[in-house]
Amino acid sequence: MKLGVFVSDFELTNDTLDRVGPDGVILVANGVYHAALKTGGAASPLIGKYSSLYALSEDLETRGIDPSAVDSKVKVLDYSGLVDVIFKDFEKIAWL
Amino acid sequence: MGKLTIGCFPGLVGNMSYDFALKLAEAAKDKGHDVDVWFSGNAAGSVLAGQKHLKDYSTSEQHLVRLMEKGVKFCTCEACSVARGLKKDTSIEGIEWNAMHWYLGSVHGADRVLQIGGE
Amino acid sequence: MGDVNCAFVVQKPQYKGETSRLAITHAISYQTVEILLDDGDTVTPTLNFIGEGVLGLSKNQKAMDKYGITSTENHMMNCCLVDLEVNVCKEDLEKYGIDPSTLPDAEEMGADVSINVVPMAEIKAKIDEARHVMIF
Repeated sequence: MKLGVFVSDFELTNDTLDRVGPDGVILVANGVYHAALKTGGAASPLIGKYSSLYALSEDLETRGIDPSAVDSKVKVLDYSGLVDVIFKDFEKIAWL
Repeated sequence: MGKLTIGCFPGLVGNMSYDFALKLAEAAKDKGHDVDVWFSGNAAGSVLAGQKHLKDYSTSEQHLVRLMEKGVKFCTCEACSVARGLKKDTSIEGIEWNAMHWYLGSVHGADRVLQIGGE
Repeated sequence: MGDVNCAFVVQKPQYKGETSRLAITHAISYQTVEILLDDGDTVTPTLNFIGEGVLGLSKNQKAMDKYGITSTENHMMNCCLVDLEVNVCKEDLEKYGIDPSTLPDAEEMGADVSINVVPMAEIKAKIDEARHVMIF
């Protein structure tokens, strides 16, 4: 069953995400920094690792992140779009 | 349409994961899905009535009332609530109080379950 | 609908926060969920500890003496008494130098099951097989 995992933090202090092995990742809360921030010039390791990578627009905008800074591999969606992804793209979901 | 069960464990003030849970619940309900929300841990404290909305702080009371009017079902963990000194008669009306098995019972009939942990 | 299998995954250590303890108590509540369901319907959790979640599971805990709260050791014994499947990641116990023999059991209290120390691959299989995954 396809598993989608919500990532809500920027610093990933453990390897649970890797161990759980999701089919897709949804960036929310401070997790949205993965969509746009570069650390030492490098994009987040999540970019390119998951073909299904989403970021919540409300949380990007809350943090003043310019949409143009979001990596092209990240699909930006709002809460309504997120509901559709939860029900149509994944069969189970989890939160980190 | 399906059913979404959200297990919401983070506290109301000081953790915007709680805010996320309510906004997701609303979005799912608006799209025609059934939604149950279980409050446990520090989230149990959010059912206290008489909250004052100060703009520096997250608030839940009005949102919870609005969501209940839309048909979202809320239940708070009785043990988590009484441990925090909450009483049913000073809590937001319409929110059920029950034991932890309420959450599992909701999970049984859910198409999607999102467990949002506390701290 | 029958049985719904849920994988509870605990990745945080016990005691500083309550989330990890709540995972255990919620999983234990599967014992009484049938009163809310139709005849024949059940929820079957597996309780899986990985990463720092394997910390704070050992015997001889003094939580009641020191802080007046039920110890995780006690909760873990209750898991065994209600036949809850509990899996603790073998690799993480080794990583933190925790001897599996320090995990509690409730055999003397009449429990039929004990805590399983299993490779992460088995826990991953539980996650994959489960209808729902709840990470604490």
